[in-house]
Amino acid sequence: MSHSDWSPVQDPEAQEPAAGEPEAQAPAGQEPDGHGLAAREPAVHRLTVQNSPAPGARRRPSSGSLLASELKQLFRRRRIQAMLLALAAIPVVIAVVVRVSSAVPPGRGPAFLDRISQNGLFVAVTAMLVSVPLFLPLTIGVVAGDTIAGEAGLGTLRYLLVAPAGRVRLLLVKYAGAAAFCLSAPLAVALAGAGIGWVLFPVGPVALLSGDLVEPDEALVRMLLIAAYQAVSLLGLSAIGLFLSTLTDVPVGAMAATIVLSVVSQVLDQLPQLEWLHPWLFTHNWFGFADLLRQPIGWDSFGDNALLQAGYIAVFGALAYGRFVSKDVLS
Amino acid sequence: MTAIWLRWTPAVAVPAVIAAGVLAGSLPASARDPLPEKTPAQVLAMIGQHQTKSFSGTVEQSSELGLPDVPQVGPTSGAGTGSLAELLTGPHSARVFIDGPTKARIQVMDRMAERDAVRQGNELWLYNSKDNTATHVTLPAAASKESRSHDMPAGVATPEELAAKMLEKLDGTTDAAVAEDTEVAGRAAYNLVLTPRSAVTLVGSVAVAVDGENGMPLSVEVRARGQQEPAFRTAFSSLTLGAPDAALFNFSPPPGASVKELAVPAKPNGTKGQADKNRTGKDLADKNSANKDLRGHAPTVTGSGWERIVGIPAPSASAPSASRESGKQSVDRLLNDPLLRQATVTVQGGRAISTSLVNVLLTDDGRTFVGSVPLERLQAAAAVR
Repeated sequence: MSHSDWSPVQDPEAQEPAAGEPEAQAPAGQEPDGHGLAAREPAVHRLTVQNSPAPGARRRPSSGSLLASELKQLFRRRRIQAMLLALAAIPVVIAVVVRVSSAVPPGRGPAFLDRISQNGLFVAVTAMLVSVPLFLPLTIGVVAGDTIAGEAGLGTLRYLLVAPAGRVRLLLVKYAGAAAFCLSAPLAVALAGAGIGWVLFPVGPVALLSGDLVEPDEALVRMLLIAAYQAVSLLGLSAIGLFLSTLTDVPVGAMAATIVLSVVSQVLDQLPQLEWLHPWLFTHNWFGFADLLRQPIGWDSFGDNALLQAGYIAVFGALAYGRFVSKDVLS
Repeated sequence: MTAIWLRWTPAVAVPAVIAAGVLAGSLPASARDPLPEKTPAQVLAMIGQHQTKSFSGTVEQSSELGLPDVPQVGPTSGAGTGSLAELLTGPHSARVFIDGPTKARIQVMDRMAERDAVRQGNELWLYNSKDNTATHVTLPAAASKESRSHDMPAGVATPEELAAKMLEKLDGTTDAAVAEDTEVAGRAAYNLVLTPRSAVTLVGSVAVAVDGENGMPLSVEVRARGQQEPAFRTAFSSLTLGAPDAALFNFSPPPGASVKELAVPAKPNGTKGQADKNRTGKDLADKNSANKDLRGHAPTVTGSGWERIVGIPAPSASAPSASRESGKQSVDRLLNDPLLRQATVTVQGGRAISTSLVNVLLTDDGRTFVGSVPLERLQAAAAVR
C-alpha cells in the first residue's frame, strides 16, 4: 500500500504554518464544534508541545476534525478496504457454495447452514456466526494493533504529537477509529450476506430459534442487532490492541499479539478446568448473540457482554493511557 | 518522578474499582428484613398452598453428577449428540412461561439452538431448532386436569416440579429443618433443608428455597456425600409474576420443519409414584416411556426410604408381551445413548453407571438395579437372588 497518505500534516488545519500566529490566535476561542476539549486537557500535554518554538501560540485542531481525518485516513487505506471486502466475501462464498451444491442435511456444519436454501436471510446469520471466532478478531487485531505502533513505525508519531494533538486526544481518536472499524466489519458481513441471500435465494418470513416466524423486515432489524452485538464484542479486543500498540514501535508485533490473545482467550474458554475464569474472558460472550434470535429476545446476554467489554475498555484504556503519556516518543 | 506515577494511577485504580465492585456484588444483601420465623411444616404448607399459576422466568440448571461433559466448540449448535442424558451434564438454562394449568412454554436455550415445548390446552408442540424438527402431540382431554409436569418433556425441570417430587420422600427417614433465609432471583426465600437420616445413601442433603411471599419453590439443590459442589441444582435466576404474553403459546411449526405426529397412549395412573424411585438419571432421561414399560416387569424393591433399591428382573422368554419387549428396548436405547455408554464401567457381576447421586448396576444376566446407594449395596442386592 502507499504510505503517501500518511503524511503527518494530513489535517488541513494542522497545515497552518507555525509562523501564522496572528490568524491562529483569533479563531482559537471559537472552535467550530465547541468541544473545548483542548482547553480542559491536563498540563501533561504541555510536554508534548514543548518542542515547538512558541507553545501557547499554536492552534490545536478540534477533536471533531481530528476524528474526521482519522476516519478518512482509516477507511481510505487499501488494507482496510481489502479486509472489509474479504469479510464481505465470506457470505458470498457461503451462498454460492450452498446454491451450487445439493441440500445440506440439518444439524451438520455451522448452525443455520441448512436453512439458507429456504430463506436467503440466513446467509447473513451463518456468515456472522462463522466469522466470529477468527475472521473478525483477525481484522480487528490488524486495525487496533496498528493504531499507535503504525504511526511510530512510520516515524510519524512525533509529528502528530507536535501537531499538536495532545496524547490523550490522539489515543482517544485512534481508539474511536478502531471502534468505527469494529462497527463496520460485522456490518459488512451482515449487509453482504443479506444482499447475496436476497439475490440467490427466496426471502420470506424467518423462523427464529424458538420456531416462531418473523417478517423479513423484523429479521433485518435483528440482524443489525447481531451486528451491533458483535461490534460491542470486539470493543474489548480493540482496547487490548490499543494498549499493545503503545508498547512497541513495530505494528506487526502488536497486531500479532492482539490476534494471538483472542485465540488464547477462546482456547481458555474451552477448558473445563478453568471454569472460574470463563466469565472473565473477553471472548466468553462472543456467541451469546443467539439470544437475539429467540422469541422473545433475551437481552441478558447483550447486557452481560456490554458490561464485560466496558470493563476491558476501562482496564486496557487506563493501561494504554499510562503507557502512552509516559512514553518517550522517539519516532 | 511523581508525574510518572500519576499517569499510571488509572491503570491501577480501574482494576481496583472493578474488583471492589465485584466483591460488593457477590456479598449477600443483608439489609433485607428477615422473614418471619416458620417451622419446616409451615414452609411445606406454603409450598402446598401456593397459588402462583402465571409467571415467566429463567431457570438455570447445573449438574455435577460425574458424567462426562459434552464439549461445545466452534460455531456449531450445541446439544449435538441429540442425547437426553446431555441435559444431565454441564449447565443449562431455560426460559419458562406459564399461564395457568394449560398454557406453558419451556425454552431450553442451547448454544446456537433451542429446544421448545409449547402447550396450549390439549395441543403440545415440541420443537428442536438444531435439526428443525417438530413433534405434535394431542393430549387426551383428561390430561388438562393433571399437573403439567406430566406432559412437559423432561427439559430443565422447574423447581416447582422437583420440590413436589422430593417432598414425597419426607417421612421418618428424613430430617427437615429451615436454615437461614436465602435469596433466589432477587426474592427472599425460606431455605428448607432435608437431610437423610440414613448414613448409607449417596444423597447428602436436599435444599429447597421457598419464596417468602407466595410459597413458590424457587430453587432445588441436591448435594451428594463427599462432594463439594452441588450434584444437581436448578434455580430461577429471574422471575416475573403475572401472565406472560399470550402470543407465546401460539405455536405452529416453521415452514421447512419436519413434523411428526405422536399418538399418546392412554395414561395409566400412578406414573408419578413410580418415577421418584429412580429419580435422577433414568427418570429425566426417559420419563414417559421407560418407566411405564418397565413396570410390566414387576420390579422388586428392597430397603426403604433413602436406601431403597429397585431391582428390575430380566425379561423372561416364557411370557413375551409387547410391553416387555418395548421395555427391554427402552433399556437398550438408554444404554446405547452415547453419553451413558461412555459412563458405563465394568464391575464385578456386570456393568455399572456411577453418578454421584444414583448408581445403576446391570448384571450379566440382564437384571437392573437402581438406587441412591453405594455400588456394593447394589451388588449385594443382586447377589441375594
